[in-house]
Amino acid sequence: MSTEFSNETLKKDSSNSGLQIVKESEEDRLMTLSVGPQHPGSGHFRFTVKVDGDYIVHCDPDPGYVHRGEEKMCEYRNFIQNIPHLERPVIHDSNNITYSYSLAVEELTNIQVPRRGQFIRAIASELNRQVYTLYWLAIYGIFLGHSTMFMWPTGDRELFIDLLEMLTGARVTHAFNIPGGVRNDMPVGFSEKCLRNISYFEKRLVEYENIFYNNPLMRQRTEGVGLLTKEDAIKLGVTGSVLRASNTPYDIRKAEPYDVYNEIDFKVQYMKSSDCFARAYVPLLDMRESCYIMRQLLDKIPQSGEVRAKLQPNPKGPAGEAYRRVESGRGALGYYIISDGTPKPYRVKISVGSFRNMLALPHLLVGAKLADMPSIYWALNYWPVEADR
Amino acid sequence: MSNKGNHNVNDPKANSSTKIEPSGAQIGIKQDDALVLENLIVNKLVSKFGDKIKIAYTKPLRIKVEVDRSDIIEVASFIKESLLFDHAESVAGTDYPKGNYIEVVYHLGSYTVDELGAHVLALATRTGREDSSLPSLVNIYKSVEYHERETFEMLGVYFEGHPRNDRFLLPEDWADIPPMRKEFRIKGR
Amino acid sequence: MASRGSRIVEFRFGNFVASLIWLILIVLIIVSLAALPLIFIVLFYAPLPPINGQVLTPYLFLSMMVDPTRTLPVLKFIMHTELFRVAVFPGFSFAAIFAAVTIFVERKFLAKMQLRVGPLYAGKIEGILQLIADGLKLISKEIIIPSGADKPIFWAAPIAFVAASAAVISLIPVAPGWVVSNTDVGLLAAFAILGFFPLIALLFSWASNSKYPFIGGLRALHQMIAFEIPFILSALSVVILSGSLNLTHIAAAQSPYWYIFFLPISAFVFFISSLAELERIPFDLPEAESEIVAGWLTETSGMIYGLLQLGTYIKLYALAALFVTLFLGGWAGPQIFPQVLGPPGPQSPLIQLLTLRPIYNPIIVNDVFWFSIKTFGIIMLMLLPRGINPRIRIDILLHTGWYKLIVLSFINMFIALALVYGGVFGPGGVLTPH
Repeated sequence: MSTEFSNETLKKDSSNSGLQIVKESEEDRLMTLSVGPQHPGSGHFRFTVKVDGDYIVHCDPDPGYVHRGEEKMCEYRNFIQNIPHLERPVIHDSNNITYSYSLAVEELTNIQVPRRGQFIRAIASELNRQVYTLYWLAIYGIFLGHSTMFMWPTGDRELFIDLLEMLTGARVTHAFNIPGGVRNDMPVGFSEKCLRNISYFEKRLVEYENIFYNNPLMRQRTEGVGLLTKEDAIKLGVTGSVLRASNTPYDIRKAEPYDVYNEIDFKVQYMKSSDCFARAYVPLLDMRESCYIMRQLLDKIPQSGEVRAKLQPNPKGPAGEAYRRVESGRGALGYYIISDGTPKPYRVKISVGSFRNMLALPHLLVGAKLADMPSIYWALNYWPVEADR
Repeated sequence: MSNKGNHNVNDPKANSSTKIEPSGAQIGIKQDDALVLENLIVNKLVSKFGDKIKIAYTKPLRIKVEVDRSDIIEVASFIKESLLFDHAESVAGTDYPKGNYIEVVYHLGSYTVDELGAHVLALATRTGREDSSLPSLVNIYKSVEYHERETFEMLGVYFEGHPRNDRFLLPEDWADIPPMRKEFRIKGR
Repeated sequence: MASRGSRIVEFRFGNFVASLIWLILIVLIIVSLAALPLIFIVLFYAPLPPINGQVLTPYLFLSMMVDPTRTLPVLKFIMHTELFRVAVFPGFSFAAIFAAVTIFVERKFLAKMQLRVGPLYAGKIEGILQLIADGLKLISKEIIIPSGADKPIFWAAPIAFVAASAAVISLIPVAPGWVVSNTDVGLLAAFAILGFFPLIALLFSWASNSKYPFIGGLRALHQMIAFEIPFILSALSVVILSGSLNLTHIAAAQSPYWYIFFLPISAFVFFISSLAELERIPFDLPEAESEIVAGWLTETSGMIYGLLQLGTYIKLYALAALFVTLFLGGWAGPQIFPQVLGPPGPQSPLIQLLTLRPIYNPIIVNDVFWFSIKTFGIIMLMLLPRGINPRIRIDILLHTGWYKLIVLSFINMFIALALVYGGVFGPGGVLTPH
């Protein structure tokens, strides 16, 4: 029986005890946590992390819990019938996900949208962007533990949901954009109410900054955390506010203006610091800019005109394909539609911002502390239902 | 407000920059310098690769290039290094049972070059419907990693060189054919 | 029996009388078989005083209860027994009432800060019965113990938690002479008891046999241990100034000036450390909801959760009361209660009875009033960061606790030492009360 201990194994030769201590392997030190679908910090999404003490060494995303087969369902319905189920992936931002689809279908079927319809589409898109970004901000606050920042944006969202209800009839899933324009016109009094709500909201944004963004604890938790350099951001192909927080001023409304955005004067908001704080702050800047855009839209909208092009019962176009994109709350939302001359599309591929941003999650989480996990994860502007489609 | 009546195509109040042509109508580019940059890109590609590629169409801001699967890595590297399209936006696989092939289209965009910000280059390649496999572009464009994985499970196309050809969105106990194939019918339709 | 198709149950006088008789019978059975023997057993063991030269037997006691003019002296006697002190007045029930009011006020207060209303529907006025509703709900829920959990510790830990919190209550003086245990090492005993809490948290999280409670328990351990040292050091400055560890003496020594004027940094350090000990936001990492589900409370359900919440809020009252005793002068305050309630001078026995003259002591009532006001104010101050701040991260927390707060408390300790050696405090000092 040896009396010296080696690092490798310590075996006792006595037959009745059978004690055996082996050197601890790397795998034994790690603890696997499943930040699963039943977790207050994940949404409808699961990712497993392996932690070594407090540091994360491996992350594996596992989406698909709310996969509905949107793309397959599109092939069974004609172009107009696809609108209601296509807006379900992001119910909060439903006007943007159907906007991109409508643009692609209009390109395929040679429909020309009347001017007033284009303006109303843009107004609805901006309103939806506010709604989504406020909801995102509320969840970000609660992930950091800030319950007031959860309640305030959720309450202020009602301003815009009221406007959207006045405009479309529904609070979240509007089914408002169709290929050819919008379903119905703005009601009387909408412009005044919209301007009033925007003025009130702009004052509230100042209060958000005071309580949340200028809070030293929030800054300590988000500044310097989850650095995503510009080269990495471009290489990973992220989009939206994540990209703009990494010193890349790219916004589809400016780079490839669609509808009436070439007549609107606004600046692309971006930040240089590329950490979680920048990813949390860029949406606030976007919201402020969006208020400014809405004021211009309400100012320039033609006072009368149709809002929807007259369509044949089953609109169809020649065989071809179209790829159009729109800047939604999470980034570039692209539709690739292949048509074969029938009223139903042959293939619809949706390229969503959340799916593209998911690639940054393992990249950023490895090497981060476990306490930073919710901060990094939600700052990537990831909406689980949209990524699953 | 009523929506009846014919849509006024030539409304004098309409802004002159929204064009009446079918394609690219809402983008708002002027008529004269259409397709300058697109033709430049097409010329560069054709002069480098000649017969190996086929330009399917050249529309305003959209070009589609069709490549055989043996040349796709070379073409993709050239597009990334010389033409400066630095990321892939989406990977779409389509099943054509009539032509007996599966076409996979990569949409590439550029964040670094301002003039190319609006352009999207579609890189297409084909493979057969049985034993479908394609070389993976993950070493050139890292952003296709999850998109290729999704194409694998939705269409059954194996990507050689991809780190994980694995189940992604579908449930773990999926035992049916890849759902985006045309033989797969949704129940009841 | 209701007739078919009609919703009105007929009134049968015979059934009504029968149910009344059943009710009387059951009440009689309970009173005679259970209540009366219980009263007699209690009276047998409780020391009974001689009243008017007669030893108070149980029968005499019961007859006196019925006679109002004799009830009050008995009440006064009961108020000075140990049982009353432990269970009712400066003891558990007082703390529990404070805790209950705190929970309700916290929810309303936070709601107003967050632009909402808080509990509204339970009870007629602004949801005032919400706590009772919550308590009933928690009692009625099933207690689920995870498989593989260590059952003895799982059951014992919440009770130990409440017991430890209540033990700290027993040291706090509410008014001069009104303290459950008047030891000469009161402050030291408080810290010793507070040292139990990390142990209970760790044992409970280990006994839960699950990953998230495990992480939460470790975080609780780190947090509470890191903040105990600044806690003790800041209280040490108070001991230097007052020269005694007895909490009653410390509170009495502040009658000229409260210590917070001389030791503001220590008060600040004490406040932050008590927020960390209580696991309140911004220090609620052990229960961080978005990262580790609910931390070391994850596997609690039903009454176990209720006991832990009760223990937490009693601990909140205890630490706030400790702060008031050490820094804010305990019960000191201007006398605002009159000498007698009602008209002064000799009065008829009925008026004397109605104005509670035998048991009314204006000084004590005044002290209790000021103590409650101050404790409530400090509790409100402890509730405030919840609406303002996000959660802190563990490495920032440990850095703050081990570096910054210890340095700050040392600074104030030096100030306190300077004051003592300069003759301001200490024996024979200028500001020491005699």
